[in-house]
Amino acid sequence: MAKAIRQIKKEVPNPVEEKAEAISAIVDALAENRDAIVKTLNIVKQLNEIGILDAVNALLEKRTEVSVIALQQVNQPAMYNTVKNAFNAFKFFGSLQPEKLQTIMSGVDRSLERFTDAVESGEEQSLWKLGRSMTNPEIRTSLTSMLQFLRGMGEAFSEDQQQQLH
Amino acid sequence: MNGELVRACATKAQPGMKVDTKSQYVRDAQYEAFSRILKNHELYCTVCDNNNGNCVVHNTAEHLEIEHQKYEFRPKPYPPDQSHPMYRYEPDQCILCGRCVEACQDLQVNETLTIDWNREVPRVIWDNDVPINESSCVSCGHCVTVCPCNALMEKSMLGEAGFLTAIPPKVLEPMIDITKEIEPGYKQIFAISEIEASMRKTRIKRTKTVCTYCGVGCSFEVWTKDRKILKIEPVAEAPVNGISTCVKGKFGWDFVNSEERLTKPLIRKGEEFVESTWEEALTLIASKLKEMKEKYGPNAMGYIASSKCSNEENFLFQKFVRAIMGTNNVDNCSRYCQSPATAGLLRTVGIGGDSGTIEDIQSSDLIVVIGANPAESHPVLSTRIKRAHKLHGQKLIVADLRKHELAERANLQIHPKPGSDLIWLSAVTKYIVDQGWEDKEFLNKRVAGVEEYIQKLDKFTLEYAEETTGLSKDTIIQIANMIHDAKSVCMLWAMGVTQHKGGTDTSTAISNLLLITGNYGRPGTGAYPLRGHNNVQGACDFGTMPAWMPGYEPVQDPKVREKYENAWGVKLPEEPGLDNHQMVEGIDKGKLKGLYLFGEDMAIVDSNINHVESAFEKLEFFVVQDVFFSKTARFADVVLPAAPSLEKDGTFTNTERRIQRFYKVFEPMGDAKPDWEIFQEIANRLGANWNYKHPSEIMAEAASLATIFAGVSYDRLEQWNTQLWPVAKDGTSTPLLFTDRFGFPDGKARLVPVDWTQPFRPGEDYDIHLNNGRLLEHFHEGNLTYRSKAIASKTPNPWLEVSPELAEERNIKDGSLVRLTSPYGVVEVRALVTDRVEGKELYLTMNNREDIEAVNLLTSSYHDDITHTPNYKEMDVRLEILEEEGEPPLPDTNHRFGNRIPQISVRVEDKWKRQDYTPISEIVEQGGAKYGEGNQAN
Repeated sequence: MAKAIRQIKKEVPNPVEEKAEAISAIVDALAENRDAIVKTLNIVKQLNEIGILDAVNALLEKRTEVSVIALQQVNQPAMYNTVKNAFNAFKFFGSLQPEKLQTIMSGVDRSLERFTDAVESGEEQSLWKLGRSMTNPEIRTSLTSMLQFLRGMGEAFSEDQQQQLH
Repeated sequence: MNGELVRACATKAQPGMKVDTKSQYVRDAQYEAFSRILKNHELYCTVCDNNNGNCVVHNTAEHLEIEHQKYEFRPKPYPPDQSHPMYRYEPDQCILCGRCVEACQDLQVNETLTIDWNREVPRVIWDNDVPINESSCVSCGHCVTVCPCNALMEKSMLGEAGFLTAIPPKVLEPMIDITKEIEPGYKQIFAISEIEASMRKTRIKRTKTVCTYCGVGCSFEVWTKDRKILKIEPVAEAPVNGISTCVKGKFGWDFVNSEERLTKPLIRKGEEFVESTWEEALTLIASKLKEMKEKYGPNAMGYIASSKCSNEENFLFQKFVRAIMGTNNVDNCSRYCQSPATAGLLRTVGIGGDSGTIEDIQSSDLIVVIGANPAESHPVLSTRIKRAHKLHGQKLIVADLRKHELAERANLQIHPKPGSDLIWLSAVTKYIVDQGWEDKEFLNKRVAGVEEYIQKLDKFTLEYAEETTGLSKDTIIQIANMIHDAKSVCMLWAMGVTQHKGGTDTSTAISNLLLITGNYGRPGTGAYPLRGHNNVQGACDFGTMPAWMPGYEPVQDPKVREKYENAWGVKLPEEPGLDNHQMVEGIDKGKLKGLYLFGEDMAIVDSNINHVESAFEKLEFFVVQDVFFSKTARFADVVLPAAPSLEKDGTFTNTERRIQRFYKVFEPMGDAKPDWEIFQEIANRLGANWNYKHPSEIMAEAASLATIFAGVSYDRLEQWNTQLWPVAKDGTSTPLLFTDRFGFPDGKARLVPVDWTQPFRPGEDYDIHLNNGRLLEHFHEGNLTYRSKAIASKTPNPWLEVSPELAEERNIKDGSLVRLTSPYGVVEVRALVTDRVEGKELYLTMNNREDIEAVNLLTSSYHDDITHTPNYKEMDVRLEILEEEGEPPLPDTNHRFGNRIPQISVRVEDKWKRQDYTPISEIVEQGGAKYGEGNQAN
């Protein structure tokens, strides 16, 4: 004979036992990862000494407020420009071919050498001498390249104007 | 296409068609079209919960290499609609593509959603523009599933799916602003969002599962994060449902993580249950079973299996019962529902399952639904009927006491007197024969017993039918005409037919009518008893029945027994055992001393439960294995915690005979275990020495023994692959039965004469007929679905439907508390006045919360003579009003109070008619963009 019953005696988890089990599991994990734990503790110790932990802790605790303030700072035209410029600069470097850049950079490097020499010696050349320099093949090459550089820039400018009309 | 600009979605592919998707012209058109979409949708993918690699808007923008937005995003002047407990609508993100409307109007066919193209800023609206929660929305989830972005989203996803999506709005909004201001081009944004999306894959697990809420057998992915269910994600590959779901399948899984789950075995000690270890519980069960078998013999124990558990679990359970416990006293809950249908089909066509698949149902010319409410009990299957009926000219006849949704939509609804279906079915059959409309060739070639059957039909004249069923002669003739005119007919039925004293005979009459008209063995034809539980079919198929070994091979056949005896190395009992009904009788008479039951709440679902419960009290030993502490468990000596489908592997067989795999999503909660593991542990304590490591090994054993499963294997059932039995050794399925032969040795079907059994009437004192059944939102009595807060908020209580006539006569209002009394018991429940029921007919839903609301307190122990299925649908009651005024049982937010707005599709033509609409072809011209040329001229 078994009457319907609804009473269930649940085993109430013993808090002391549960805690002991949890602690022993943690100790096991610590023992297994001894080296990593010790190193980590060392890092944490140093972070604490220089006050970084406190700062991070405060940031995390006030994360919503801090994010709002930070975003207010970012959410301004000047910042848009910075970020856009950064993106554009990033794109620009991406578009350069390394060999070309190398040629230009070595040119610039040598130019700087000459440039500083000139500045240091304080030498001033007469107009005539300057005019004569045009016959110098190195100067001629450089000027031709400069002109091509200007042409390329002009092309990009006029393309850009057309695009804006769209 | 052939040089013309056309919409890909509205153009049928033709042979020889020249399709160009790459030229500048086409790309310009795509850019223009997509820019219009982005005007309606803010791209903040990385902080969007829909950024899971499957966002259509995201992926399309990326595919089209959209760099910048042509038209600026403009928020819509509507706040998000958060009113519904399961999903939200955010108009600002809505691209007005109309997929949700199309899904609601033409796939689910609930006809709730439209887009109002006439207002200045169009948006999706529910009913006549009411908050979602107050609309006719049935929460099926179709709209959310098809939404290509985050406009419609499951609330369970919000703030959960992404790493950054839980950011509070005051931080999130400036972040979006900054992103838009800087706008480095979408490529970079997409790169970041893709990194984030792939990071999500590490913590969001996607697992295929099969729904356990009805026999249709929908399959879908479950998305989980640890033990949290993020959402149900239907996929197009799912063979039965595709992207369709109902509210239970889409939103009803909270029970899995319920705190009320059983997580430890319980043992009755005195007046209470005490938690125990598995060791203690299993040892007790094993010793008790052994002791009782020795003391009373093997047949003094009964075993009740579960139609909610897997095929493998049912196979293993019957093996345990037969091979270890030495009895055939094993049955499952199909005894309560579909056994008469199975018996009626076994008699006539030789196989007790659906003749074809959901595809046959949707492609049929004429659907006849008898005593079934598929729109609530088999929701996804009914969507296919509603769609075919709405769009493709399918005809629909519904025979029911209630004007349920399909009845409202039907071309012809008939309301015969309760329990008289056999008569009108036979009268229609006779009329067809009298007109010479029977399929003579089919009958000659494929059917036996024709002459004798036709002679026995004499009695069913139109006059006799009119008198006994209350249907007019014209109505019966009209039905006959509709069947005659249809090229293919499917007949669907359920509990309204089977749960009667003459349930098997009425099922037989349905099959007879199909045979006479040749509606078997061709696409779009056949008999479809709609299975109620996810694995009613499979539980029967895999042998938890007293007279059948797996695969419907008779226990009494020595050759069948020999096969199993050789495989299992034991001697098997020869005579069929007791069914559920006989077990309860056996306990009552003191013959049955012990019971082992899993996954079944017999103390609620059996009829006349006062009687059943008093029987349970007499048991000497009772084991109940379940996910929750059920009402039946209150009577147990040992209660074992089982694992639901999401916590194990296995297969289910749906109403189509389709075997489908489901995969483990979570580890079992607490100490719960999959049912098959529990059986194995008990069997091994009784010396079985089984060693199944995975359900696939159990299926392999079943396939090696039962002929109809010869080619079934887990490898062939990987992921979305399925098999429909009979499955040949080489793995070939049989989606459509009887194409060449029927299930008898001579291959011919049988016409079986049947006569009407008068339904049970308790007497003059009980003056109102009581009908009862399921409802859409709750599974069965609701012990799983009530654990979903969202479902419970929309449908918190059972209710009693009362007709307006009766309400007026007795002064009953919405919310009146009434007492129903039958000779067997008393129920107290609140009323709802509705014209779904007529005259002196009541309908009581079975989702009872309190014991006093359970309909089976009223039902009797009378039953179908052949199958012993109780006559749940045959009861009259007395009605008294306890409180005239009271809280209505259904809140205003229930979909039944909504107003549908039927239309076909999204009516995009209305958008095209708007003043501000410019066709894309006018903006983009071949050879380049017009606007560009104009400017260049400057």
